[in-house]
Amino acid sequence: MAILPTRKNPARHGRDAWTTARFLCGLLFPLLLSSGPGFAGDLKIEDAWIRAVPPSSRATAAFMTFVNKGDKPVLITGGTTPIAGEVKPMITVKEGNGVMGMAFVESFSIPAKGKRVLEPGGDHLMLMKLTEVPKAGSTVPLVLTTGSGEKKVSLKVPVR
Amino acid sequence: MAETRQTDARSRRIGLILFAACAAVAIPALIVLFSLAGKSSSPWFGQYDAETHPAFDFSLTDQNGNPLRLQDLRGQVVLLSFGFTRCPNICPTTLGNLAAVYRKLPPAAQERTKVVFVSVDERDSPEALKEYVPFFNERFLGLTGSPAEIGTTARAYGAFFRKAAAVGSDKDDYLIDHSTYTHLIDPDGNLRVLYRFEQLPETDKIAEDVQRVLDMQAPGKQP
Repeated sequence: MAILPTRKNPARHGRDAWTTARFLCGLLFPLLLSSGPGFAGDLKIEDAWIRAVPPSSRATAAFMTFVNKGDKPVLITGGTTPIAGEVKPMITVKEGNGVMGMAFVESFSIPAKGKRVLEPGGDHLMLMKLTEVPKAGSTVPLVLTTGSGEKKVSLKVPVR
Repeated sequence: MAETRQTDARSRRIGLILFAACAAVAIPALIVLFSLAGKSSSPWFGQYDAETHPAFDFSLTDQNGNPLRLQDLRGQVVLLSFGFTRCPNICPTTLGNLAAVYRKLPPAAQERTKVVFVSVDERDSPEALKEYVPFFNERFLGLTGSPAEIGTTARAYGAFFRKAAAVGSDKDDYLIDHSTYTHLIDPDGNLRVLYRFEQLPETDKIAEDVQRVLDMQAPGKQP
């Protein structure tokens, strides 16, 4: 009845269709979330990508959005990947007059019920001592370490 | 019951009238504000310099080991930025955006546009630049020179750089803090437009600026 509205009761048609849509969304949305990359407990990782860099590069950067649905801040302290010797959180420091530099930090903190965006020209995870230079179109495994290392988040990150 | 319904209808009507009144005032006000803002702002996306300031005529070495002076690029718009090839974030972002600007130009404009990347890193040889710069676009130029030549060039363009954090235990594997402006130099060799790093993702608007500079230089259309 809810899924197939009958013609007998056209007044209810709209509401039934709405109920159905809501039901389907309720069904599909968690499915979408669970099939996306990097979903571990309260931390969700969206739009992760690694920058394709020239073949001679020693380092590249990974960008993504961290969404923390939990009540406590989450710390990202680094990670591991088969293509780099080290993965470290790095922030971009802007001085006056257009000068920019970068600095290593112990961790990225994602506030409770908040998010943090790593993006080009801003904060990023730096993949250093590259053993293989990532090529556009490929996918790179990346395991992120949270907090004091007790939890790991595994990602498959596209290179572009 | 009937009274309540009537009151409801009345308050709804009053709400509607108030809403319409607000909209009637707010919408034209916004339109006027926007059109004023549009009129007062310049057609240039970057920071345009109407006065003529010749850009420093550097003398450096390109990625093929050939000497190159700025004056060799007369007749072309030059998009000049400073950086270094081990730069993992800022420089690839800059060059990636400039590559997108270049792709958006029609072929005739591409012929008259040169993207130039000046390395402020004494570790960058022409070979290192050759492996780096063409990755973004085959036609881009990477320039290097002696520390003195680079220092003079950077100073002349108001660009700053200094050695920064070591990447690991190797003291030679360090990063460099540097200026992130992109200079648009017109075909006569004058500093014409300046872009902040944060503006570079607006590649459509930068391409329009480049085209506008080229159009200004067209015969019979001197600025």
